[in-house]
Amino acid sequence: MLEQLVSALVTVVLGVGGCLAYFYGSNILLDRLFPASASNDMAAVRNLKIQSSVRPWLFLGPALILLTVYLIYPVFQTIWLSFHDKAGTSFVGTANYSWAFNDSQFRQSIFNNFLWLLVVPAACTFFGLVIAVLTDRIWWGGLAKSLIFLPLAISFVGASVIWKFVYDYRGEGQEQIGILNALIVWFGGDPQVWISLPFWNNFFLMVILIWIQTGFATVILGAALRGVPEDTLEAATIDGAGPFKIFWRIMVPQIMPTIIVVWTTITVLVLKVFDIVLTMTNGQWDTQVLANLMFDWMFRGGGDFGRGAAIAIVIMLAVLPIMIWNIRQANAEQKGGH
Amino acid sequence: MWQRIRLEPSRFALHFAVLFIVALWTFPTAGLLVSSLRDKDQIAASGWWTALSTSEQSSQARTKGNADQVEKDGRFVIAGNLFEGDSAHSSLSAWGTNVNKPGANLPGATAELGSGQTLTVNADGSYEWGSATAFPDERGRRVFYVSSVPPRFTAENYETVLFSEGIGRSFVNSLTVTIPATIIPILIAAFAAYALAWMKLPGRGFIIAVIVGLLVVPLQMSLIPLLKLYNATGFLSKTYLGIWLAHTGFGLPFAIYLLRSYVAGLPKDLIESAQVDGANDFKIFRRIILPLSFPALASFAIFQFLWVWNDLLVAIVFLGSGEDQLVLTGRLNSLLGSRGGNWEILTASAFITIIVPLIVFFSLQRYFVRGLLAGSVKGG
Amino acid sequence: MKFRLALGAAALALTLTTPALADLVFKPGEDARFNWASFEELKKVDLKGETLTIFGPWRGDDEKLVLSILAYFAEATGAEVKYASSENYEQQIVIDTEAGSPPNIAILPQPGLLADLAAKGRLVPLADADASFIKDNYGAGESWVGLGTYKDKDGASKFFAFPYKADVKSLVWYSPENFADAGYEIPKTMEELVTLSDKIVADGGKPWCIGLGSGGATGWPATDWVEDLMLRTQTPETYDKWVTNEIKFDSPEVTGAIDEFGKFAKNDAWVDGGAAGVASTDFRDSPKGLFATPPKCYMHRQASFIPSFFPEGTKLGQDADFFYFPAFASKPELGTPVLGAGTLVSITKDSKAARAFIDFLKLPIAHELWMAQSGFLTPLKGVNNDAYANDTLKKMGGILTSATTFRFDGSDLMPGKIGAGAFWTGMVDYVGGKSAVDTGAAIQKAWDEIK
Repeated sequence: MLEQLVSALVTVVLGVGGCLAYFYGSNILLDRLFPASASNDMAAVRNLKIQSSVRPWLFLGPALILLTVYLIYPVFQTIWLSFHDKAGTSFVGTANYSWAFNDSQFRQSIFNNFLWLLVVPAACTFFGLVIAVLTDRIWWGGLAKSLIFLPLAISFVGASVIWKFVYDYRGEGQEQIGILNALIVWFGGDPQVWISLPFWNNFFLMVILIWIQTGFATVILGAALRGVPEDTLEAATIDGAGPFKIFWRIMVPQIMPTIIVVWTTITVLVLKVFDIVLTMTNGQWDTQVLANLMFDWMFRGGGDFGRGAAIAIVIMLAVLPIMIWNIRQANAEQKGGH
Repeated sequence: MWQRIRLEPSRFALHFAVLFIVALWTFPTAGLLVSSLRDKDQIAASGWWTALSTSEQSSQARTKGNADQVEKDGRFVIAGNLFEGDSAHSSLSAWGTNVNKPGANLPGATAELGSGQTLTVNADGSYEWGSATAFPDERGRRVFYVSSVPPRFTAENYETVLFSEGIGRSFVNSLTVTIPATIIPILIAAFAAYALAWMKLPGRGFIIAVIVGLLVVPLQMSLIPLLKLYNATGFLSKTYLGIWLAHTGFGLPFAIYLLRSYVAGLPKDLIESAQVDGANDFKIFRRIILPLSFPALASFAIFQFLWVWNDLLVAIVFLGSGEDQLVLTGRLNSLLGSRGGNWEILTASAFITIIVPLIVFFSLQRYFVRGLLAGSVKGG
Repeated sequence: MKFRLALGAAALALTLTTPALADLVFKPGEDARFNWASFEELKKVDLKGETLTIFGPWRGDDEKLVLSILAYFAEATGAEVKYASSENYEQQIVIDTEAGSPPNIAILPQPGLLADLAAKGRLVPLADADASFIKDNYGAGESWVGLGTYKDKDGASKFFAFPYKADVKSLVWYSPENFADAGYEIPKTMEELVTLSDKIVADGGKPWCIGLGSGGATGWPATDWVEDLMLRTQTPETYDKWVTNEIKFDSPEVTGAIDEFGKFAKNDAWVDGGAAGVASTDFRDSPKGLFATPPKCYMHRQASFIPSFFPEGTKLGQDADFFYFPAFASKPELGTPVLGAGTLVSITKDSKAARAFIDFLKLPIAHELWMAQSGFLTPLKGVNNDAYANDTLKKMGGILTSATTFRFDGSDLMPGKIGAGAFWTGMVDYVGGKSAVDTGAAIQKAWDEIK
């Protein structure tokens, strides 16, 4: 144990030190090889030129290599794998895709993912907006926001434990220790096994992600709301607009770009959601989603990389529009100068 | 500000609404915390919201066996106390000898058990079991009783999970994964961000576009190819170095994106005047950019820390499941299975796994929020 | 700064804890039940400085048991033994082998999954001597050898997995004292079992506790039920054909057995927590209902390993006992079939220590030490049966030997994607309300897709 701590500390020092050594060393080497204070001016100018054309790559190098190895290469490799059999050896054409679209589990996952996409970003944005507006006008709003924000720091697995406890089920007539069933019984209803109620259980899983992500929406939308010019609002009040009208007609349109950012960020997160489903139901009771299905195909029963990769590509295709939109936004910003 | 605009419904309703939402959001976590501190029998017997009230429990105990019988006035008697070695109970309100009627008799009553046997149990748990003939069985008989148990809070659950459920070990493993996986990407991204913001290089726009694109690539895409790659290299699979690099790779797009937008926003004069003074880019980076970017670096550090600490997928794929590599999220996931109904273990374990992120989060919330804003509300 | 503080605190706290391997439970040389001579023999193998990594299915209390056995191997040979498991071990072992960092030894209860791994070239064949050892020294040796023989990458059949530890599945657990209190008799036939269940309901109780929850493997306990009922309604030949899919999953023979299971699990009156609770209750928690006051149920059908999950201090034979899951009196031609299972030990990364470990498993001591604790049955003939921890285990051995038909757990023999996938999820869907015919058809479809 202690050994591991020591070796961990040593490796931290080595890893970080190695990184630093690379940046220091390579830059100093560059300065030495092509000294800016060369004997004659011609050489100095040439060296400076070389320096300034090489140095950016020294700075960028490690990042580019890591990005290539860990993200870019895998994307192409996954595309390639999705056209091959389970061991990744022989070409099978589009068999994995045609399998997927005929597979009931896959269709179930698509349907569920669609539900998630429909509900979670909308709910987070809605609650985020409401909470941001409400907390902004009370003296303890900061504290309230912190508490709502708190789940954002909790892991999906931790959150799953928390919510499993909320949804806990005991047979009828027994003392319920899950708060949801306790409430139901208190109001005179029958306790339910929430996570295995087909269709509705999807929503009980979504609640977890909404619970986690609403804080994120609150903070960002709150900041945007505070940026809405005061005179616009005052003008509207003078015109006799009611609070709801002000909210929907003036505030929401003003912060629309931010709402889109929140919406798309959560959308991407939803497509990748894996831990919650794995720990709560592992896709049983019709709660399967693409990310968990992919994990299942990759590693269960000997593993099938072809089908796993095909599912990954489907997830990738789903985020593609957002990716393109993001890139266009970034490009537009660049052209506008920074 | 628009707080001044009078809004109906009234202030009271507003406070109430916020209070309600906050309660909704904090209740689940509160349940976890309270439960983790309760006695394990009580967690299973009553809801955590009743933690402060005395609960009624049915329990069972076994009398002593024939080794302890004494002959008294021609009768054989076994006497003792049901509460022996059990400090949680002090009195019982009913008792019985049939499992289906655990509360059939009142304290002090004597029950006929047939074949000349009688049993008396008192409120303090003491009992006298009499028989006309010698008791034949080595083993005593079961006695069921109903007792009220005062609320009991304990740190035992934490002791259990830390030292015998492996949570303590996993805590160290999580730290081993998280710390380097937070620091390394910061360094690499900071240099890259500076290059992309202030240095002249061909294809800069293209590189930025690629990075923005990579922001949303699902990391699931990378799992199989990286497993194969690690397999081919041999030295990276199932090692800490392997997972540090993986987390670095996955964290870089966001890190570069966040830091670049911050660094690009630094005053141009500052950098230009340094250049005029003859400082090269490396010097400028060290002397000016790095110190000025501290808030952005801190924001990213918090993000990356939370993300790595809370990650399950990357850990189960790139690290082993042995004692020396299983991280907290993985451990918690396996406890969810093997200790599925033992809420005392689950709640305490879950609380340990979330306590570090909560501390980081609360002490550095300012930076965290700033990072969120910078990362999302680009350009406003 | 904070991290370093936390690190320091954690280090302080954790240096106090014990190493992973347990101390020796039984002191070598002291207990005559054990074959210590074989332990002394083992000491000749010197593996100092070698590390042996083992991946197995046992977690929680079972993990403590396996660690106690491994401790003897480590003690005798000087090797450092590291054991790991995972809640999703069926997936984890695939990840580990694909990542190129497999453990030396992989222990799995599913021959089907091992066959998949062997076909991908992830397993190292064992020696011919190992196969002939099993054949000569295990009861019904031939069938055990068959269980560990799979086709390798090139399609050649080789012996890959060494069976170690058997389980009898056809058992119904109960509390004798609860039966006595309520005046119930142990049923001798399936018909009597049904009558008893109805009687318990009439008395206001619930006869059964059934839990299918098992993390990523949720649903497997139901497959055991179906297999047991398959053996009680169909001939062993039909069972064998079902396992190889010569008889389709949606054929009436199979759906009939599924519906027999449904009579128990889908019957709100018969199951604690109702049919809805069945799939969501963890199998490790479900037997605890037997010991509640008042009891949540009277009977629990589960394999011989389940006492590991009984409440602490439960005395087998006294607090809890079992009876044979009976056969139908109306089908005398089927005799008294028994369903069994076992774990198989295979080498995923060859080393001297790995080979030595396989040899270790041939020694009586490797079996007796676990027998003497709990939940372990072995077909190895050379062991001292007195080593069994209690009469209950001995009685289980009896069930194994008196069976007219013995069949290995069918789901474990099916391809991993079915036996450790579609069959499990199918049963969860079935308990959730799907019909047996639809369930069978869905599983059959999954099977067709992997052909």
